[in-house]
Amino acid sequence: MASLSEEVLLVVKKVRQKKQDGTLYLMAERIAWGPEGKDRFTVSHSYSDIRCQKISPDGKAKVQLQLVLHTGESTTFHFANESTSRKDWEAAKELLQQLLPKFKKKANKELEEKNKMLQEDPVLFQLYKDLVVSQVISAEEFWANRLGGINNGESAACENKQEVGISGAFLADIRPQTDGCNGLRYNLTADIIESIFRTYPAVKQKYKENVPHNLTEKEFWTRFFQSHYFHRDRISTGTQDIFSECARQDEKGLKSLVTQGVKNPMVDLLSLEDKTLDEGYGISSALPSTSHASRTVKESSNFAIIKRFNHHSAMVLAAGSRKRDVPADQASETSSTDGNSRDSDFFQPPLKKVKLQEAIEYEDLQQENRPKTVALNLKKSDRYAHGPVPLQSQQYTTSQDIINSVNYIKHEMSNYKPNLTQVLSSAAASSAIAALSPGGVLMQQVAQQAINQMVPTEIQAELKHLYVAAGELLRHFWTCFPVNTAFLEEKLTGHLECMLQAAYSKFHIWQTRRMMRKT
Amino acid sequence: MASEGEISLLVVVVDVNPIWWGQHAQSEPEFTLSKCLDAVMVMGNAHMAMTRTNQLAVIAAHCQDSHFLYPSKRLKGNDDTSSSRDGKYELLSVTNNLIAEEIRDIMSKTELTGNSTDTLLAGSLAKALCCILLKTVVFLLAQEIKSRILVIKAADDCALQYMNFMNVIFAAQKQNILIDACVLDSDSGLLQQACDITGGLYLKIPQKVALAQYLLWVFLPDSEQRSLLVLPPPAHVDYRAACFCHRTLIEIGYVCSVCLSIFCNFSPICTTCETAFKIQLPQMVKPKKKKPKLPA
Repeated sequence: MASLSEEVLLVVKKVRQKKQDGTLYLMAERIAWGPEGKDRFTVSHSYSDIRCQKISPDGKAKVQLQLVLHTGESTTFHFANESTSRKDWEAAKELLQQLLPKFKKKANKELEEKNKMLQEDPVLFQLYKDLVVSQVISAEEFWANRLGGINNGESAACENKQEVGISGAFLADIRPQTDGCNGLRYNLTADIIESIFRTYPAVKQKYKENVPHNLTEKEFWTRFFQSHYFHRDRISTGTQDIFSECARQDEKGLKSLVTQGVKNPMVDLLSLEDKTLDEGYGISSALPSTSHASRTVKESSNFAIIKRFNHHSAMVLAAGSRKRDVPADQASETSSTDGNSRDSDFFQPPLKKVKLQEAIEYEDLQQENRPKTVALNLKKSDRYAHGPVPLQSQQYTTSQDIINSVNYIKHEMSNYKPNLTQVLSSAAASSAIAALSPGGVLMQQVAQQAINQMVPTEIQAELKHLYVAAGELLRHFWTCFPVNTAFLEEKLTGHLECMLQAAYSKFHIWQTRRMMRKT
Repeated sequence: MASEGEISLLVVVVDVNPIWWGQHAQSEPEFTLSKCLDAVMVMGNAHMAMTRTNQLAVIAAHCQDSHFLYPSKRLKGNDDTSSSRDGKYELLSVTNNLIAEEIRDIMSKTELTGNSTDTLLAGSLAKALCCILLKTVVFLLAQEIKSRILVIKAADDCALQYMNFMNVIFAAQKQNILIDACVLDSDSGLLQQACDITGGLYLKIPQKVALAQYLLWVFLPDSEQRSLLVLPPPAHVDYRAACFCHRTLIEIGYVCSVCLSIFCNFSPICTTCETAFKIQLPQMVKPKKKKPKLPA
């Protein structure tokens, strides 16, 4: 029977399994089925074992639910209750849908990790095939040393993952399409929604407030697109729009941005303005004044658009630099619409200093701070200049010999005329050819061939695999030392022995098979 | 065969050490310097006759200096070269005549200074490299040029030229220039190293009389063609280092970790850089073994 600590989430009566009537129980960590009238569960699967669930299509008379396990087995449940079968089935299906993903990740991750490792490293894969598949080593021992870094590696991988930034054009991606009959279709993907929430925290707050209590998601977005907040000509006319609040906040944020200014002392924004050279070289109209009254309608709408663009860019940049796991403190989120978190205010003076220093100093021109080294002091450096003295015996010649030789050669060469027809006699030539042919005096070593040219490549590859597998076994052997525990001792004497025996017999089989093939 | 437009330059460096040749001519009269030069000429002619774009250069390495036998400075001044009467390709006859003239000239000007009796081989090799470089630059815009150096060595190695020799060898290796060696008398460790490093062929000839045959068989084909032929296998090269104290070749020795000087015996202070080695008294000092390089 189910233990008392298990929380039963759903009970479905009249569920048939393998032509037997029974009851299906869905618990917090497992799903179980017991036949009618009996107390025990005959079928019980924990959620982490279940790979997926399959449902029978809607039209069929039989309402069935199939659970497929990781091992490949499957169990089918038939909801036989005449009146409520549909409802029960749907309830069970939904619950399973919610519970399964939670448990799935844990088990899968390990398997995935293992699979990834095997795929990335072909040598490891071959080793796995050689040792585990042919049952020389058990799978747990194989993975024992290799998976040590799984839990540590996970968090490290998460840290190294780069955060995805926000595309500045995400609003443009929405791209309204005409629906055919006077309507507009806006395509909203999850990415776009996320970008909107990250860039405009005010909208996110509104969403949280209103959905799902007041409005459905669809209605919220419809209102969003209809509101003036979204559109170009944003005129805050004080309507009942929920987004007018956002518009006011944006104005406030923009103003605070402007007052804050730029922190870099090298950048002087005020010196940038539209300069005109002469008539025809630019806008030669008077400088735009900042008071509302004197502006024309067109100028004011341009002004509004430019303001909106600036604000949008500032928000995108701010959202990108804000960290992903923002604390749930909503107040800080909305107050930081000016794009800079509170902390940066404290850092203002040092940042300025750093920028100034960067501009003034050059790294190469500074004094080098290398660690102190001792200079090499060679007393007799000419020793390096001499090569090895040849082992041949020195032939000493007397000076008289030298004089004689030189005179002789001078005499000989004074009458030198090339006589190219008498250079080689046929006897000399044939003896030279004999010496140079294979088997001759000079060609004694040519007959030796390298072994790797004689052995075909498949045998070489198989031998390599066997060698690597033998190395792996040796590694297991050496990790048993020093023999501290009884477990290691037992492993050495018992387990390892049969492992080595199995490996040896495998090699022997391979060897005889190869030799049989040859003959 | 060389591909279209590819130029192959062969530089032959002949050791004409008069002392060695004079001595050996007296003991072996059937193979003299004249015969040797004849064989070299035959090979040079064959090389030039194979393809029109093949180039030849011959350098004589003397104990005083090294000269270019071909192309020589006389080339330009001679308009009255007698045309050969046997209808030979004119380039070949000009070449042969020039080489003969030059060697006669060199030998007649030999003076005995008594200091050096060794062939200045390193210098000749350096001149060969310069010649190759010059030709490479000249032809660079037009075609590819492939060069190799053939050294015909008679006298023994000179230990004093070691550093220069090694520099030349490495320079040739960098420029992808093969150095082949045809040794007449005694094995030369330096040339063996040169051939091993640059990828050329080293051969010690058993019969000097058949020099022409060996030259044509082994050294005439260029590196591409050599891969298709069955030629004598490379010899075992002695790469052992010499110890700094006695200059003897050693296989296992002691190396100072500061200045990398090699000694055959242990001493507590390195004599080159005066570093004191701290010895752990209870243990025996273990010699740092140096494994000799043995080719497979």
